[in-house]
Amino acid sequence: MNNVILPVILPLLAAFLMLPVARLSAVVARLLGPLVLLIGLVLLLQLWFAPEAEPFMVALGGFAPPLGIVFYVDQLALIFAMAVPLFTLVFWNWSPGSDQDAQGMARQDALMLLLAASATGLALSGDLFNIYVFYELMSVASFGLVALTGTGPAQVATVRYLLLSAFGSVLALVGIAILYTQTGTLNLAQLGQLAPTALQGPAGLAAFAFMLIGFGVKAELFPVNTWVPEVYATAPARIAGLLAGLISKLAVLVVVRLLVVVYQDTGAAQLMLVLGTLTVLFGEFAAWRARDFPRMIGFSSIGQLGIVFIAFSIPGPWGVLAGLAVALHHLLIKSALFSLANRWSGSLEGLAGGAKSAPIAAGLFVLLALSLIGVPPLPGFWTKILVLVGLAQEGAALHISALAAILLVTAIEANYLFRFAIKLYRKSDQPPAPHRTLDIGAAALIGIAVVVVTVQIDPVGDKLRAVARQAADRTTYITTVFPSEPGIAAREDSR
Amino acid sequence: MELNFVTILYVGAIGLLLIGAMGLVMGNNLFRMVLALVLAEAGVNLLLILAGYRGDATAPILGIAPAGVQMVDPVPQVLVLTAIVIGVGVQALAVAVLIRVFRAYGTLDARELKTLFEFDVAAEKGTEPPGSTQAPAGGRPLSPVPPRPQADEASS
Repeated sequence: MNNVILPVILPLLAAFLMLPVARLSAVVARLLGPLVLLIGLVLLLQLWFAPEAEPFMVALGGFAPPLGIVFYVDQLALIFAMAVPLFTLVFWNWSPGSDQDAQGMARQDALMLLLAASATGLALSGDLFNIYVFYELMSVASFGLVALTGTGPAQVATVRYLLLSAFGSVLALVGIAILYTQTGTLNLAQLGQLAPTALQGPAGLAAFAFMLIGFGVKAELFPVNTWVPEVYATAPARIAGLLAGLISKLAVLVVVRLLVVVYQDTGAAQLMLVLGTLTVLFGEFAAWRARDFPRMIGFSSIGQLGIVFIAFSIPGPWGVLAGLAVALHHLLIKSALFSLANRWSGSLEGLAGGAKSAPIAAGLFVLLALSLIGVPPLPGFWTKILVLVGLAQEGAALHISALAAILLVTAIEANYLFRFAIKLYRKSDQPPAPHRTLDIGAAALIGIAVVVVTVQIDPVGDKLRAVARQAADRTTYITTVFPSEPGIAAREDSR
Repeated sequence: MELNFVTILYVGAIGLLLIGAMGLVMGNNLFRMVLALVLAEAGVNLLLILAGYRGDATAPILGIAPAGVQMVDPVPQVLVLTAIVIGVGVQALAVAVLIRVFRAYGTLDARELKTLFEFDVAAEKGTEPPGSTQAPAGGRPLSPVPPRPQADEASS
């Protein structure tokens, strides 16, 4: 069962070996990355399809927790861990590259592998400091990938992104320090055990606020997401797609673990609800004003992540189910939209008539846009209805305002997405250049996945419900990590 | 609260954090903002060390401490070591990217760079340059938009 470490270790190892290998043989170096990611994907798929779906814990180096650090593997972690190699492969730089640029390509591949390794580690980690280290590694890899494009604006965007992100890390570290002074541990399960007594006061809530803002930088949370439009406008679309689709979700996963395991019954969820509502409103209004395609879908991704935060702030398994559904839906849709943005990187006006030169891409855009807005029977409808019903069940004033905000932004979303779709199908003298087959292929694959999910919504929904029930169960998390101390875990609340 | 050594250190740590945050928010020179980040990181490292500090304990090294004397908590110290290493890496990367920014634009002034950035992106995307439709009709309250420098074509 210790195979679960390999999807983290192998890409790290391959990333460090990449440059020496590229000096010997450029071909081997090019093949190394996809090969390693495929191995990781297969290993994780084996775990996913294993007959027993019970969560388990891997003590790294054989040191038992709380002294040692652990990987906690449940279905929720596995979903996101599998998404990492999958979407890294989708957004891999598949262009063959010239011989004289072998070192440059190897550098980029190494950064992609670092990103994949740290993201997988983030999904599996059950220890707050390990999470911090993986998060930082992920940040550094993403800075490098954005800066590598070499244009002046990309460098400016990278600096601003780096400063904000590094300050976010400082804030997260402050939160971790507060947690440590209150509890004396950083193991998530032990924090969960101690939380009912040690983290009830304002200090515990302050720690969560610091970590929410800190990790929220990558998750595009409202006050700390000013980097999003700048980076998405200047970075290559595949990097932007990776950051918006995958990396943001992993940052959300960290916050969700904290919320479920440690902060289940405090004001933390309300804080997240308020910030999520602000994020939704900010993102969608800005998307409505955006004048170019990458920034439009970038701002719309901020809005969607706001809905993810709102959904996860609903207590109990329902909130985890709704949040998981919205997050996975957004992961699929935004990845496909950013593959389209690879060629459609210009202004919205300049893309008029795009349906003439790229009919498949235009058709895919309409399908994805419909799902993003939430038109039945596409999966986007079910994800939104889950969130809305969950909010209505809670019924407090904050929840109802969040519900109203989501309904309002759905109208805005429909307005700007349809406005662009109409533009695509208009007659134009200078239609934009058609897409590369690779981008269309990636987007079409995801489009097919969306259609399949639409048809098979029942089994997918059942599976997600089981995953959410498992992930929302704090007692399972604690007893899995500390099997010998059931007494402490037993005094859990019954929710 | 009595004014002992540890309290002073706590005040210092939080002060460093605040100075760093202020520098990042109010700074206008990107290099100074990196330095502000360094200060904030020093502050949080100090805070972490203080989380495990005890006045009457010794360094957590087995064999050096005399028997019966308590040791300070080694975990925060290990965390700080990691945090320092990560911080140095990020700062080095920041300075490296700053050099590339300076080569491309010839300035590190954040406000100026923001304007140039918007112009460049607008030119690349084929959208209208920013401010052209929403610009105030009268005189500008801020310094006028600097003309587009010609130097960056050579470097890009």
